[in-house]
Amino acid sequence: MSARLVAGKVLGSLATLLFVVCFNFFLFRVVETDPVANLFRGHQLSKAQRDELTRQFGLDKSTGGQFVAYLEQTATFNLGRSYTNNQPVASEIREKAGATIALVGISAVLSAVLGTLLGIAAAWRRRTKTDYSITGFTMGTYSMPDFWLGMLLLTLFAVVLGWFPVGGIVDPASDATGFAKLLDQAQHMFLPALTLTVAYLGEYAIVMRSSLLDTMREDYLVLARAKGLRDVLVRNRHAVPNALLPVVSLLAINFGLVLAGAIAVEAIFSWPGLGLATYEALKGPDLPMLQGLFLVFSASVILFNLIADLLYAYLDPRVRTA
Amino acid sequence: MTILILSMVVGLAAVTARGQGGGTETVDIGDPQGIDSMNPLVGVTAAAYEAWNIQYATLTNKAAKDFRVIPGLAESWESSDDKRTWTYHMREGQKWSDGKPLTAEDVAWTINTSREEEWINHTSVVANMEAEATDPNTLVVRSSVDDPKLPVLDVYILPKHVWGKMSADERENYDALDGVGSGPFTLDRFEKGQFARFKANPNYYGGRPGVDRVVLRKFNNPDAMVAALKTGELDAAEDIPGGAFNELKNDSNIQTIEGYQGAMSELAINGGDGLKKPHPALLDVTVRQAIGHAIDKETLVDRVLAGLGKPAHTLSVSPDPSWTPEIPADQQFDFDLDKARSMLEEAGYRDSDDDGIREMPGGGQPLNFTYYVRSDGESAPEIAEFVMGWLREIGIATTRKVADDTQLTTIIGKGDYDMFVWGWVPFVDPDQMLSYFTCDQVSDDPENPTDYYNDANYCDPEYDRLYKEQNVELDPDRRREIVHEMLTRFQQSGTYHVLYTEPNTQGYVKGRFDGWTRQPEKTGPVLYTNSSPTYAALEVASDSGGGGGDDDGGGAGTIIAIVVIALLAVGAGVVVARRRRTAYERE
Repeated sequence: MSARLVAGKVLGSLATLLFVVCFNFFLFRVVETDPVANLFRGHQLSKAQRDELTRQFGLDKSTGGQFVAYLEQTATFNLGRSYTNNQPVASEIREKAGATIALVGISAVLSAVLGTLLGIAAAWRRRTKTDYSITGFTMGTYSMPDFWLGMLLLTLFAVVLGWFPVGGIVDPASDATGFAKLLDQAQHMFLPALTLTVAYLGEYAIVMRSSLLDTMREDYLVLARAKGLRDVLVRNRHAVPNALLPVVSLLAINFGLVLAGAIAVEAIFSWPGLGLATYEALKGPDLPMLQGLFLVFSASVILFNLIADLLYAYLDPRVRTA
Repeated sequence: MTILILSMVVGLAAVTARGQGGGTETVDIGDPQGIDSMNPLVGVTAAAYEAWNIQYATLTNKAAKDFRVIPGLAESWESSDDKRTWTYHMREGQKWSDGKPLTAEDVAWTINTSREEEWINHTSVVANMEAEATDPNTLVVRSSVDDPKLPVLDVYILPKHVWGKMSADERENYDALDGVGSGPFTLDRFEKGQFARFKANPNYYGGRPGVDRVVLRKFNNPDAMVAALKTGELDAAEDIPGGAFNELKNDSNIQTIEGYQGAMSELAINGGDGLKKPHPALLDVTVRQAIGHAIDKETLVDRVLAGLGKPAHTLSVSPDPSWTPEIPADQQFDFDLDKARSMLEEAGYRDSDDDGIREMPGGGQPLNFTYYVRSDGESAPEIAEFVMGWLREIGIATTRKVADDTQLTTIIGKGDYDMFVWGWVPFVDPDQMLSYFTCDQVSDDPENPTDYYNDANYCDPEYDRLYKEQNVELDPDRRREIVHEMLTRFQQSGTYHVLYTEPNTQGYVKGRFDGWTRQPEKTGPVLYTNSSPTYAALEVASDSGGGGGDDDGGGAGTIIAIVVIALLAVGAGVVVARRRRTAYERE
């Protein structure tokens, strides 16, 4: 891989990020809002208090002035203060990122692995009962809205069977530490993780299946078979590696969205991550928080796209020379 | 798949472990809103007030029955002849939850500092007060004005030994997780956005409460909250959605509570004394009153609130219903479309061009009003459908516009509307709600239109005169009479058609804990009340059959399970069938 190609891709990503930073500012200024009134609705506020808050939020400056201040702040990772609770946005995001990375990260890996395996099985035994049932199942879950699936699972496992808690990340009554605490968290994570895994594995299965079907028509597979290789070897050494490319790009895209989380699923299970933070910020509307969240989401999408680009170039020589 | 199964097994193991908590009695309470901050200088949500009511006692308390003033940190008090100087005698030997002495100095410090620094939740009470601790158990409070609210002093008293060490700035930015308090429970663990857990305070003046811990848990999904209440994961819940609430009424394990605290919704009409005039017809009191006759409040309660509410006739200015006057039957705007039509007809608003819409007297401008629909909250669009329909029937057209709360506040301040539907939740003392409709509170500043509260944009000098009179009237009965007169006057202006009062919808699991206390008695809620008397009274139910409540009735549960599985199976089946049919075209 040439250094030029890498440098080009990295610069391209940085330019995109810069555009997002600028665009973000103006996007969120389209909404007309008075954060001071919003923050203290229903309370008597003296003129001095109001002026002080207006100054704190930097709303006494012109739009241009606010933009410059915003750029300066963003460059130093200061994302401003939340309109709803007056806390620094950067620390709010840092606090909540862990829960989201754990939940969505695990689900992303599980759905990718399980989905890909299902896709391989379906393609390899195409037009058999295995294929029909796998494809039927994955098409079903793929087309199912994740919040609906989440509600179904919640009703079944938490309400009817009572095996899992209905939401949250830890049991408020427990003072557990160490392994017991981890168990508690795992138990709380089970339902949202199951929802996300089931909701997203369909995509992988469908992509993998069609990609593998394409590959199976290639001449080199006929050759491999003609050489007398066993079916399993033909599949694992020759067909699957070549069919994996589209899955890699899908994986990169989905990992880019890991931080953005699953707004609906986090809201249903009261999972205190970034998706829930987005949902709450939208209700405000808490512009600095939304702005900060969008910046983090965009940055992670851009980063993973960059990784996918580079990985593609590494995996597929045709991309390298193009 | 193996991993999923494995984690399911782990989960199940954890469930089994969960049941064996051992020894501590914890009351779990769910709420969809959550605590925004534990700091009384910062937080504003109802859950935050509940948390402070749990953690911080006030100098005087309020009776659960009727909000009457009763001893709190102070056990007695007396006033000077002019009722401007009050001397409070604190209970002997009180301690904060951390064991440090709680004295009159803590109270004086809180009152004086909150006045100087204008703490958001204290300032309206202490604005004109000066406090002095003349000895550890005696507090003297001087008010610079006649204040009928005294001797009530219901601000959260903070421990000086914790809060007094900070600068004003540090106080404002403090996370307030120290857990030092004087209420029945004090903060034990706080997980932001998830829950706050409180432990019993052995030093509480009312004695250590009968349970060990209380948890306030936030649920982003109200359906999940209801589910948790049914399964017994929660012991009680606040703000249960209407549909689920009506269903829970039939659940023999759950006691539902419709608790009224004066929360109301109103159709407000621009009275025309603000920055901008409404449609000229609305300046005519006859038109405004005719609109009142075109609103069927019963139907709104039934259809919009699922029956959970009461039709109302005038402002509710306090959770204490005795402040609300009985409007004489002949002055109420009962639902009568014919009467509304004939009132408009007689006043000269006739449909001269036969398009179904009336015009101004003598023809000309049609009666077409701008109706703002709030985009926040769920009921506004439904109410709009009904009200706009009824107005149409009496020959009034409406132009529907949509705004969120912040936008609407600005629009109201600028007077740039004809009508909208919104609501209020009153404080215990009626003064604040009454003050919103004085002439001073009509916006006259186009630069800061949201600094004003009078969203009727209606100014009545006689109302103002009465307002000032009740504000300094120290005889409670006489003050009540004045307030009744004000509210009847205001109702007759037709600028504010109060539609209904709305309850807090709550529920608790029967037979597990006792002490759920309604405030005010009979009609009020048991949670999220003004002074939260429930917490000090909580105790393990005498007839609790141990564990209890964790088993679901089964019948309904099984049906749901079958439906879920059937739905999934049918969904999968349909997809398979369709794919089979198109298999050949696809490949």
